[in-house]
Amino acid sequence: MKFTLRIWRQADAESEGAYERYEMPDIDPDASFLEMLDVLNDRLVKDGGRPVAFDSDCREGICGTCSLVIDGIAHGPRQATSCQIFMRDFADGSEITVGPFRSAAFPVLRDLIVDRSAFDRVQQAGGYISVNAGPKPEPNSMPVHPETQEAAMDAAICIGCGACVAACPNGSGMLFTGAKVTHLNLLPQGEPEQHHRARAMVRQHDAEGFGACTNTGECQEVCPQHISIKVIGELNREYRKAMVRKLRERGGAIRPQ
Amino acid sequence: MIGAGLAGQRAALAAAETGVSVGIVSKVHPVRSHSNAAQGGINAALDPGDSWESHAFDTIKGSDYLGDQDAIEIMCREAPEEVVHLERLGVPFHRNEEGKLGTRAFGGASQARTFYVADITGQAIMHVLYEQLMRFSAAVDRYEEWFTTSLAIDGRGECVGASLRNIRDGSTELFEAKSVILATGGNGQIWRPTTNALICTGDGIAMAYRAGAELMDMEMVQYHPTTLARKGFLITEGARGEGAHLLNADGERFMERYAPNKMELASRDVVSRAEQTEINEGRGFPDGTVALDVTVVPRKRIHEALREIVLVGRDFAGVDITREPIHIKPGNHYMMGGVRTDVHGATTIPGLYAAGEVACVSVHGGNRLGANSLLDTLIFGRRSGEHASARAKRIAAPTAPKALVADAQKRVDAILSRSADDGGRRVAEIRHEMSVEMDRYMGVFRDGEGIQTGLDTVKRLKEDIAKVYVDDHSSVFNQDILAALELEFMLDNAECSCIAALHRTESRGAHTRTDFPERNDDEWLKHVNLTRDGDEPDISYSDVSITQWQPAERTY
Repeated sequence: MKFTLRIWRQADAESEGAYERYEMPDIDPDASFLEMLDVLNDRLVKDGGRPVAFDSDCREGICGTCSLVIDGIAHGPRQATSCQIFMRDFADGSEITVGPFRSAAFPVLRDLIVDRSAFDRVQQAGGYISVNAGPKPEPNSMPVHPETQEAAMDAAICIGCGACVAACPNGSGMLFTGAKVTHLNLLPQGEPEQHHRARAMVRQHDAEGFGACTNTGECQEVCPQHISIKVIGELNREYRKAMVRKLRERGGAIRPQ
Repeated sequence: MIGAGLAGQRAALAAAETGVSVGIVSKVHPVRSHSNAAQGGINAALDPGDSWESHAFDTIKGSDYLGDQDAIEIMCREAPEEVVHLERLGVPFHRNEEGKLGTRAFGGASQARTFYVADITGQAIMHVLYEQLMRFSAAVDRYEEWFTTSLAIDGRGECVGASLRNIRDGSTELFEAKSVILATGGNGQIWRPTTNALICTGDGIAMAYRAGAELMDMEMVQYHPTTLARKGFLITEGARGEGAHLLNADGERFMERYAPNKMELASRDVVSRAEQTEINEGRGFPDGTVALDVTVVPRKRIHEALREIVLVGRDFAGVDITREPIHIKPGNHYMMGGVRTDVHGATTIPGLYAAGEVACVSVHGGNRLGANSLLDTLIFGRRSGEHASARAKRIAAPTAPKALVADAQKRVDAILSRSADDGGRRVAEIRHEMSVEMDRYMGVFRDGEGIQTGLDTVKRLKEDIAKVYVDDHSSVFNQDILAALELEFMLDNAECSCIAALHRTESRGAHTRTDFPERNDDEWLKHVNLTRDGDEPDISYSDVSITQWQPAERTY
């Protein structure tokens, strides 16, 4: 197969970037998208050019490292990670545009690599369970209904790739934040801190420059883990509960729900 | 802490809880570490009908009696508490109908004691531990995307830090520390194909070796029985745990002939050898594979417990595993050997610790049981974190040799100074040749002549690496330079592995010599240790710790 690539090139965070065009003749249809980029990089370095910097690691869809916007869609055409896209997914002879997971909260570091550390700071604000020293717990002292466990797992499955942010017209990180909050708040062990968690993580989310969620649903369309936008509804509910509780604690004039 | 997968994160947390100041460095963002790829689960004798002794015996038998029984006892005794700890931290382990922690069967185990989160157990645990690192962010400094180039050893021979290259801007800095813990994972990228991610290049094993630490059992390399033929993607042992069959090209369940009792759930070395024998003797498929038939598992159960591998089959093999068998073969998966440590993670260099796949305690001996690797990372990660911080509290702040930074910079400059015109080779070519040859000569079956050929190739490639050149000369995210540095490390790993394999003239666990097909306890019930001496390693031996289980014949 043959393709024309338009790839975002940017030397470093400070430099201006631009799309550059590359012709790719003779590509194996069963090559993955990243293998196709490997072929391009081999050629670029042989010709004395600078290879295209892009993130990848496991190359089987579990680590969340790869992060390409392909033809305007985060992770490309089939709702899987960038490394799970194959050249047979594209029409022979087509032009393919490749960019980074660009967003206000994800600055570009070089070419197709962005800085996703904003996610860490959102997590740091309260996305954990505080277990304090105490008597050793007995196994199974906290039964969890299998359905609750399944629901928590469906949220815990988030790999933190950031496709949701790259896809959102507002650059919102609410699918990520919602998944993290939902996973922990659903479990009995996460319950004691649930109000603080929701409030603190949303506050940090906003402070990082992520935009607001306006329910466009673009995030769930690209999430390689198929996390549902329902987690944002869950997050909003938790957040409202937390705010109400805080107002009550301050003696604010709000009636109980 | 060098490395931020499960072992590194667990060590960092254990150390932080004791109140010391911790720095954790990694060449990738911590949640991208390869612990992610652990699918099947974590073993613990937690249920009332189970016992740590039973878990220990299964592990020892699985190791072909090369595992150190004192260390295995510790791991199996401490396993239940660790799993309960993870549960409290929010790992969404599978639950049974009563809401209790549920288990699945796994290879080489006398009963079902593997706790799991579908087939994403490693990922689920790692994300939860990373949350805990966030919780301790005041005590733990994180350095993400820093590449460690060498360990700092002072005049007294103690490890006092490391030099690191900041991947984001290309600068090199000296990190000083009272204790250093290596948790850099395995070296699967030396083989091709492999189930290991691109980052698994044996950096820690090579750095410890260069610093003078002892390596142990480097010949013990696990080939996982179910990997996809071309690219080495992993199909979890959980598939066989759920009841999947292995079939040869005649449709025969061939494990009947090799392990009539445990069948597909014999230990991994046994199953991989059986498959390779079928393939070698012409009962495999033309593409050098046998088949894994998951269709015998109820579909609902497949979608509930094996969802990740449904996707792997669909995306990478074009097969719907719920409807048809998938072609698989043994593929490189895990390094049982590594940097020799005691049960506290201490290596033979004072101040240097190691935990996880980089280390060899040894709890896996000649063959690791499935779902014991997550356990190993957590138990010995925690223990090394505790021990390293106790040392840090005891001693005065050391001073690391400043020349290290200049040396590291010189190494990089030397690579950058060469070009294609100097007659050298490119990184990718050398790496490819090494990994294909290692798979050919250091795979499931080996013999002296083949291993020697592999070793000769590695030695020739070590000469080539001295003339290697890169094309990218920039400083921001120069992935070309990292690849060159990693390749140096990989070749050290490959050389040690071949030398140890050539040395052990018997067959034990995953190390099967067709020219020495029997296990030989009289001569080889011992560890093979390598210490760097100039360009060649010195070879020595150490005893296997035997507490209560005498070596016996191994049948499944």
